[in-house]
Amino acid sequence: MDKLKYDKPSISKINAGMPSKFGLPVKQKIISEIEGIKVSALIEEYGSPLFVISENTIREVFAEAKRAFETRYPKVQFAWSYKTNYLDAVCSIYHDEGSWAEVVSGFEFEKALSNGVNGSQILFNGPDKSEADLIMAIENNACIHIDHFDELYLLIETSRKLQKKARVAIRVNLDAGIYPIWDRFGFNYENGDAWNAINRIMLAESLELIGLHTHIGTYIMAQTAYAIAASKLANLYIAIHRKFDYWLKYIDLGGGFASKNTLKGAYMPGSETCPSFDEYAEAISNALISSEIPHENLPILFLETGRALIDDAGYLLTTVIANKRLNNGRRSMVIDAGVNLLFTSFWYNLGVYPTRELGHAEESTIYGPLCMNIDVVRDAIVFPQVKTGEQLVIERVGAYNITQSMQFITYRPNVVLIDMEGKTHIIRKKENLETFKQAEENPKRKS
Amino acid sequence: MKITDEVRISDNGFVFNSKTGDSFNVNPTGLELTKLIALGHDFDTIKNIFLEKYELDDLTFEKDFYEFCALIKYHQITSQEDPLDFK
Repeated sequence: MDKLKYDKPSISKINAGMPSKFGLPVKQKIISEIEGIKVSALIEEYGSPLFVISENTIREVFAEAKRAFETRYPKVQFAWSYKTNYLDAVCSIYHDEGSWAEVVSGFEFEKALSNGVNGSQILFNGPDKSEADLIMAIENNACIHIDHFDELYLLIETSRKLQKKARVAIRVNLDAGIYPIWDRFGFNYENGDAWNAINRIMLAESLELIGLHTHIGTYIMAQTAYAIAASKLANLYIAIHRKFDYWLKYIDLGGGFASKNTLKGAYMPGSETCPSFDEYAEAISNALISSEIPHENLPILFLETGRALIDDAGYLLTTVIANKRLNNGRRSMVIDAGVNLLFTSFWYNLGVYPTRELGHAEESTIYGPLCMNIDVVRDAIVFPQVKTGEQLVIERVGAYNITQSMQFITYRPNVVLIDMEGKTHIIRKKENLETFKQAEENPKRKS
Repeated sequence: MKITDEVRISDNGFVFNSKTGDSFNVNPTGLELTKLIALGHDFDTIKNIFLEKYELDDLTFEKDFYEFCALIKYHQITSQEDPLDFK
């Protein structure tokens, strides 16, 4: 007699009158392939865990953002935010789509140059620019976004020494209705700091003020905040013209558009609640076009969007190491990718999905493999029973996770790009012992 | 380990614990396991029944059995017959 198919025994408590927040049982989403390639095949070839980036998604999302802004405002220029994901292969796609580079350190500046970006198309942000960084920026004719007065004076000194004009903008922090206000970067608009900095720059013969920049925060879910920021920068833009009879070239509204990830504690998923590119574009364009700036003198609008452009293109493939019951009966499991690879799991409820139909689901906690109590990828997720070795997919991890990943107790994994033809390429190799030995010295061994 | 007196188990997988007021759904294998435990069978007997009936290896059964037992104990569906389990 044939034996029957076995299902793992399960028991679930009935909570009468307590439906899920959507009132109906949640249907388990499954991700079995990425851009037509089976997850199992990717893991078999490149190992687990594995970052996978889809070129197709990068280009599609970029096209959507570009269309949203270019159909509403006459002069728009995107600058790829290197810190969001600075793998050369990724940056090259954005540059191929026409993006300039937005960098925040000497290292990123060098990376942009090595990716073939013309120095004059690099926006140099960040609070830490050494004299050597400034020299590199001036010599390459980059747009230097000044963060504080010490940097302003160092820049005046450096450009005098080089006898070359530095092209600069100032970073302005302002009250856009987002609290707490990000006031640690740049010069404040409301208390007059920004105006003082502008006046000082206009008096400096070795500096050429060409733009105004602001970055009001990150994961900004209110498009109206951008409208306020754009209006305030437009006021400064007009004030500069009135006093100095001079039109700047651009207004840069930074980044901060929300991706479709869901913040911890959010009631509704991010995919339902975050503004679309069209909504951001409508708010910003309206604010600039309806300002006092004459149409013929409208500035170029720079956008340094990172997160919203690339989050959807990144996946992390992972494998279940173990299942456990916690003391309180709650189910938990350990996967082979932890917070060392998923920095964004500290503030997002990342979407973790099985690769095939599985049985009974119950509330579970997902731990990473690190020997650390903080290594929690999801603290509460309704997830089906899985066996060890089961492959899972974590979606929307394209932003920040690769650049902020830590080498802690294990090697960082391969990163694979699926190109427009559906071919896979390793774009960053998995680390090994040699990776670390190359950078280490052991004086004891030498003696 | 025995099913507590206050627990009632229906044939369609509904479990009610009148002591705590909680009710549960068990899947068919969970129901079968609960009933075999209620009949007082020991681990080895239950294992043999399952191995004979289902496409299953002994280690998978052992893991699942003890996990299920921990869960029903947590939900106060079972209690230890002899608190010291010392026979």
